[in-house]
Amino acid sequence: MRRSILSAFCIAVLPLLLCPILLSAGTKGADPKAAPAKPQNEGERLFAVNCGRCHQPPMSISPRTTGTIIMHMRTRARLSRQDEQALLKFMAP
Amino acid sequence: MKPWWIGTCILLTTCWASAQNPDTDHTEAGHVPVLSSTFGYIHNVNGGVTSLEPQAEEVLLVPFGSHVLLESRAEFVGFFQRENQTTGPFTGKVFKSVDYAQLDWLANTHVIATAGAFLLPYGLYNERLGPLWIRNLQDSPITDAIGTRPNGVGDGVMLRGNAYETPAYSIQYSAYFSTRSSINQLEASRLAGGDTSIFLKGARLEVGESFQHTLQEHQINSSGTYVSWQPEEFPLDLKAEFDRSFNGEGYWLESAYKLSQVPVKPAFFSRVQLVPRVQQFHPLNGGGNSLPRKNTQQFDIGLNYYFRDNFRLVSSYGRQFSQQANANVWNAGFTYRFIWPLWPGRK
Repeated sequence: MRRSILSAFCIAVLPLLLCPILLSAGTKGADPKAAPAKPQNEGERLFAVNCGRCHQPPMSISPRTTGTIIMHMRTRARLSRQDEQALLKFMAP
Repeated sequence: MKPWWIGTCILLTTCWASAQNPDTDHTEAGHVPVLSSTFGYIHNVNGGVTSLEPQAEEVLLVPFGSHVLLESRAEFVGFFQRENQTTGPFTGKVFKSVDYAQLDWLANTHVIATAGAFLLPYGLYNERLGPLWIRNLQDSPITDAIGTRPNGVGDGVMLRGNAYETPAYSIQYSAYFSTRSSINQLEASRLAGGDTSIFLKGARLEVGESFQHTLQEHQINSSGTYVSWQPEEFPLDLKAEFDRSFNGEGYWLESAYKLSQVPVKPAFFSRVQLVPRVQQFHPLNGGGNSLPRKNTQQFDIGLNYYFRDNFRLVSSYGRQFSQQANANVWNAGFTYRFIWPLWPGRK
């Protein structure tokens, strides 16, 4: 079992870990859009960090539904009250 | 009383409650009832047998102010196969189910109390990665059956929340008790369990542990250990889980990589996602209980294309190696999700 775990790791993970590292080394200074954009503020950072733990962060949510969606996400992701407020200010300022 | 009349009363009450909500005065965020719909179609070929699987998932969210939330998910899954598996016309049926229906009270940072039929917070998959629009590969891992019998739902109460938080890390917890139920659509086992995880914010690394003890019949213990990592430098999402129960043990390891770093055609490649997954299962005590009875290994490779964050094409190829029989598994289709406010408000 231990040997097959090792070979599974080699098959699934190593190529994908090496691939972005090699690609980022090859494109350094060429295209700044290639790397993930750095978040501008705390709400944006929390948005990227917390949503990205499970799914692609959604880009378009209407402000009138934002409060409800964030309540749902706070329950699922077990977010703190402070994080909820920061996300609300970022998504529906 | 008719269900539509009860639904109308709930909608009217929640809109009144959201108008009284003092917590959102300083943002434009609205608390109106929301319907989140996902539609998908998967063309599946497993060991030469084709099945057509149109699917719809409807999530209803009804807030009462900013501290109480009623949430429910209904699922409609069509399953159509040829009459003689490989020949003849397609026949089948549409399965309808209520996945969960729960009431949440968001008391504070540390405590969220839930009552009703809730998704069991076991491992990474059942509660978090299960929805059609989230899963990177359409087939669930083999070990998804551990800790989620009979249908991934518990009927009872659950406490969860953020136990402790610093700027560097946060610790989350869930603890639940479910009673035995044979009510149609709400079947559940009598069991107790919990889940805890630590999330390192700088590294974007989460490590967690789930535990469950069934309080009926064989009194089975199940445990799962999982890791989730999304490095900031690369568009990579790495997830792994090891599960063990009376009926078997196994692991799955999945990495999803968006090809946005490919130096050519960035507009195209930034929408392409590559998803390899490896899994292995070893039965204990004869296996069963929705788990294979023989040693099974499977390798999948998925290729997804995102037109938008809510609309994507999905495809995958898998090869299953089992002591019973080896098989190829093909999937191709799409998923589309939209969010629909059920009450007018500020746009």
